[in-house]
Amino acid sequence: MTLIVESGYEFWNPIVWLITFAVVMVIVYFFRKRGEEKYKKGEEQAQIFLCGEEVPAAEQRQVRGGNAYWGFFETLKEYYDGVVRMHTGIVNDYVVWFVAVTAISAIILLIVKLVG
Amino acid sequence: MATLIEHSSILIIAVPLLIAFLTPLIGMASKKARNVVVISSLAFVAFLVFTLARDVILNGIHIYTLGAMSPSLTIPEGIMRPVRIILEVDGVSVFMGIVVAIVSLVAVIYSLSAMKGETGQNKFYTLLLLMVGGTFGMVFTGDLFNLFVFLEITSISGAALIASRTRFADSQEGGFKYIVVSAVASLMVLFAISLLYAQYNLLNIGALAAAMQYTMLDRIALVILISAFAMKLGGVPMHMWLSDTYSVAPASITVLLITTSQASMYALMRMCFILYGVSLDLAVVGWIVIAIGILSMFIGVTMAVRQTDITRLIAYNCVCEAGFMLVGLGVGIAVLGDATVLRTYGTMAINGAIFHMINHALFEGLLFLVAGAIFYRIGTRDINQMGGLGHTMKLTAVFFLLGALASSGLPPFNGFASKILIYESVYQFNPILTIIGILVSIITLAVFVKAFFSAFTGPSLPKYEDVKEVPKTMIAAMTIFAVIIIIFGLFPGLVVDWIVRPATDALVNQASYIDAIRGAMP
Repeated sequence: MTLIVESGYEFWNPIVWLITFAVVMVIVYFFRKRGEEKYKKGEEQAQIFLCGEEVPAAEQRQVRGGNAYWGFFETLKEYYDGVVRMHTGIVNDYVVWFVAVTAISAIILLIVKLVG
Repeated sequence: MATLIEHSSILIIAVPLLIAFLTPLIGMASKKARNVVVISSLAFVAFLVFTLARDVILNGIHIYTLGAMSPSLTIPEGIMRPVRIILEVDGVSVFMGIVVAIVSLVAVIYSLSAMKGETGQNKFYTLLLLMVGGTFGMVFTGDLFNLFVFLEITSISGAALIASRTRFADSQEGGFKYIVVSAVASLMVLFAISLLYAQYNLLNIGALAAAMQYTMLDRIALVILISAFAMKLGGVPMHMWLSDTYSVAPASITVLLITTSQASMYALMRMCFILYGVSLDLAVVGWIVIAIGILSMFIGVTMAVRQTDITRLIAYNCVCEAGFMLVGLGVGIAVLGDATVLRTYGTMAINGAIFHMINHALFEGLLFLVAGAIFYRIGTRDINQMGGLGHTMKLTAVFFLLGALASSGLPPFNGFASKILIYESVYQFNPILTIIGILVSIITLAVFVKAFFSAFTGPSLPKYEDVKEVPKTMIAAMTIFAVIIIIFGLFPGLVVDWIVRPATDALVNQASYIDAIRGAMP
């Protein structure tokens, strides 16, 4: 019985990973401590600067989830058109998919029996 | 103690079922007393499960025959085959029992506050206990017909629980879809069982496995069983009901729905590895399971990244994670007939799949509870309406991050430990499968980055300035999941050695399962 997971080829030991992570964090903290000390919270230097423009209200500054990964969806537009069309939300279609998978699997096994 | 262990398997099923029918009566007298009784009964059941698990892992398969002079007498005198209801609990059964015990206890603790303002709470807890009892029954029974009966119990109670918040129209729709899909799956399972019964005059899984001839009818029964259980566990392209139901059920019920889906995964494993075993067309059936798994991974994650409803997003991720398990199991099935290959990487693939089952229940469970906590406080599931919640719901944000990182398979969390077992073993079977798996994990991370940043980061929105953390019992429930995720992540070797490997050994050793029935003859 060990604390590690062995896959037969490699092993995974989270404790070693954590120790490494802690050492990296200490190094990061060391560099951070050597950074600018004049920063003062709550003063003008902490305010948002938008090229002199008026800063929008909090609701308008928030990037919404629906806007994320626009390029990804645009690139895979054809794929998504097909997959989304598949998800009709109609329960009859769900049962049709079940019948289709059962039929295809049965045909495959039948062919294997006939060939074998 | 010995008597308790001897009767533990039936008590684990009977206690929730009996308490379920007492719950409305106690609830009419006192709500507090009802809550205490429900939690105490599930805590007692969890104690029994862990006691039984220890016994099974140390002493081997546990047999319990209902109605016999002694629980271990499987075959009545004068009759040459097992005809009574028999519970046969092996390593994989107790593994599933542990999953159900942990998740059901957490679900009830969460429900105490989350369901407080809802109507019909007596019915809610009755149905919840029925569902828990049914799920335990599915994973402990050694009898095909009882498997169908318990599948029906979980389906009916599950549908009613999904629709329990009657003020939401989408909950009613979700409940309806769940019962239709479940009824189709259950009836097809019954049809497959009838094909087997007509040929062998047997319903006991061990006895059927010993008699299995793998005729054409057996093949048809196998295909129906695989398709029906794959639909119940949300395998693509039969997964569409899952996002429609998981997203609209109360969060505590969604985590229980995950365990019932996993019970279907368990049933699929039981059918392939034990009922049919090496008589299967192993490579073909293995590849059918792998194909469903790969489709589930890819379509699940690509649909998840597109969602703006946080619970639908997590639900599609559940489809994706089920794909990882199916790929691991599929590889295990494909190499089951070759002892050398099975030893080299086949058992490791099954280990990974089984380990991922408990991890999946934990991190997806945690994510659903967090989504439920957000809905509890702000009344929307739309991530476009969220923002800056991390300012006021700090603990909830940490829990989400923890679940998301575990689900994405990042070290040092539990999802990484199980995924690495799947990646490395599956790579030796077919490297392309591992490449797809890693790609899917990367997109999973993108899914949760989107959800986390939309919901918890950014400026504090004025409309959510007064939002507070959820009540303590909901926090406590999420904490239990979070702590187990961390422990499983830090000590994966112990989990694999204690509960995962015995489950895998039980699956690949069909003879032990059959002998347990034969060996208990009078």
